[in-house]
Amino acid sequence: MTDISQSAAVPGTAPQRPAATLSARLARWLPRLVMAPSFLVVLIGVYLFIAWTLWISLSSSAMLPRYDFVGLEQYVRLWNTPRWHTAVINLFLFTGLFLAVTIALGLLMAILLDQNIRAEGVLRTVYLYPMALSFIVTGTAWKWVLNPELGVEKVVQSWGWDTFAFDWITRPETAIYCVVIAAVWQSTGFAMAIFLAGLRGIDSSIIKAAQIEGASLPRIYASIIVPLLRPAFLSVIVLLSYISIKSFDLVLALTNAGPGGSTEMPSTFMFAYTFQRNQMGVGAASAIMMLMTVAAIIIPYLYSELREDTHGH
Amino acid sequence: MTKYKTLLLATALALPLPVLAQEKGTIEVLHHWVSESESAALNVVRERMAEQGFGWQDSAVGGMSGANATQALRTRLASGNPPGAMQFLGYEGLNWNAEGVVRDFSEPANEKGWFDAIEPEVAEFVTADGKFFAMPINMHRQNWIWANKKVFDANGLSVPQTWAELIAMGPKLKAAGVVPLATGDEAWQIQLIFDALVTDLNGPDFYRKALVELDTEALSSPGMIAVFDTLREVRGLVDDGFVGRDWAVATGMVASGEAAMQVHGDWAKGEFLAHGLKEGEDFLCFATPSKTPSYLFLIDSFGAFTTRDAATTAAQAALAETIMDPEVQRAFNRIKGSIPARSDVSVDGFDSCAVKSFEDRAAAIGNGAMLGALTHGFASQPQFAAVFADVVGQFFVTDMTSQQAVDMLVNGIANAM
Repeated sequence: MTDISQSAAVPGTAPQRPAATLSARLARWLPRLVMAPSFLVVLIGVYLFIAWTLWISLSSSAMLPRYDFVGLEQYVRLWNTPRWHTAVINLFLFTGLFLAVTIALGLLMAILLDQNIRAEGVLRTVYLYPMALSFIVTGTAWKWVLNPELGVEKVVQSWGWDTFAFDWITRPETAIYCVVIAAVWQSTGFAMAIFLAGLRGIDSSIIKAAQIEGASLPRIYASIIVPLLRPAFLSVIVLLSYISIKSFDLVLALTNAGPGGSTEMPSTFMFAYTFQRNQMGVGAASAIMMLMTVAAIIIPYLYSELREDTHGH
Repeated sequence: MTKYKTLLLATALALPLPVLAQEKGTIEVLHHWVSESESAALNVVRERMAEQGFGWQDSAVGGMSGANATQALRTRLASGNPPGAMQFLGYEGLNWNAEGVVRDFSEPANEKGWFDAIEPEVAEFVTADGKFFAMPINMHRQNWIWANKKVFDANGLSVPQTWAELIAMGPKLKAAGVVPLATGDEAWQIQLIFDALVTDLNGPDFYRKALVELDTEALSSPGMIAVFDTLREVRGLVDDGFVGRDWAVATGMVASGEAAMQVHGDWAKGEFLAHGLKEGEDFLCFATPSKTPSYLFLIDSFGAFTTRDAATTAAQAALAETIMDPEVQRAFNRIKGSIPARSDVSVDGFDSCAVKSFEDRAAAIGNGAMLGALTHGFASQPQFAAVFADVVGQFFVTDMTSQQAVDMLVNGIANAM
């Protein structure tokens, strides 16, 4: 403080060295100081507990943590469990379909909304609104919509189409697609909003130039606009992937992992084994498998995307 | 300034009240009873504690059939801050006792004859090596059938004596536009039908061998195949809208006459009573059909965690004695819809289904057919009980053969060992 007031008291002279060093030092340290608490919280709250989970997965922990070492026994047990196989298949099926459909629909809606139509603000809000709902609400509502005795099937049949059948949610082999439908409904508006923001950020002179060159509208979208949306794709893919991995609440509300465990997800599996079935070691092993799966997909993707950003454009 | 004075006065007036209630100590009780009748029943205990000058801090964690409360307890224990008392289901009390974290009440138990007041089947879950570590308050029976009397009368049906008779009622009811059996697809709702079938078709000894001792021979025997064959026939009695159906919704279907029957525990009774229906006139309660009617029980008990706090320790002792008081058990269970865990409480004042429950329990004890309910964790440890739930739940909604189900059961149990 004194240094600063001194330098201010002598107008016209260059700031004195100690003051310069202090403010420079402050400028250098302030960001680190401000970041330190959250860095510490993340270090302990995330990475320390990842390490702890890894340890538990190598122990014989059952009802409570037990700090011994049994090697990969829990992992062997995990992969011998048919329910885990269902969970892994479902995760890939769900994530793949959920990402593909949400991105396709979201992009299409964004492009259609971007055509300077009337009441765009209202439509945008309507499509974005499901995002404001909790997955529990979405799951419960869709549980009723998809129920053959209450929802779509019943309504269509009452209109006179007696043979109409839409009982996916009651059949173990199709129930997972019902989870996809509900999740897509919830997240499409969100993907649309991000794509729309991306579309608005594109320089219109590029499009005009292309039009002058005689490129057709589909061609302009396919070759110019969609490639320019790459950062938007990155955000959407990263955010949707993590939504799909933590889709715990949606599954619980919609199907409760049923019928017959057919919509089990790794997250519901982990919860059941750790807290209900007294097999904490197996639960921890499944959590580590989840982490490794996510890491195997997301890390290379982020690496390639972010590296191109710094070197490329 | 006047504002501050009023505030001060208000604080001064407000303070003595909680102090009075906590005169001798306050106990925090962690439980998962959040429904109206459950908390009303628990109020009986709370009021009795208040009369003795003990405060009650309620920590209700509902959801997931108590799994959420158990999770809360683990977190609290791990951080060294356990609640004063906790509600236990199934093997939880035994497991916490093995961890050495719960208090032993053998002193008052010996003094007041608690050991003799409960059946040996119940004692298995609340005592060990002369220790009395959990106070059982109530007993539910899982293998009831709830039926709509008007639907039965309209179709000329009477109480079935065997499962074959029950299944044969299906076509007639379906023709009349009634769902013969209401249930949800949740594994536990199916599993409680399975539990009943195991003992109803093969007898209580087989139940103990297969579901308690997890004997591989019994698990893969023709008796078990027959259980799955019958369960497949039971599936034919259920409508297709059963996905995600809550048990209470299924009970509501029976109450309204949309469905004829539901196999469920006696907590379903409250749903009928809430609709203003009367047993014998509007609805019927009878045991699942068998030559040797079994009594598949589950109990709720409360254990206390060891603490150095003298006031909490005193409150824990008071809670234990309050719960084991026969009059408290009577008042509690009349509201909760169950019957007392103590076998020496008279039936005075209980409703007709509960009276039937008292009688059936006495008969089942004589026949050696009083058995812990697998679905609610009173037969085998959770990691095994969950394997049964997996297989039974999956079997019910798929085309799996009985042999495949039995193989899956045997492998699943071996994998969880």
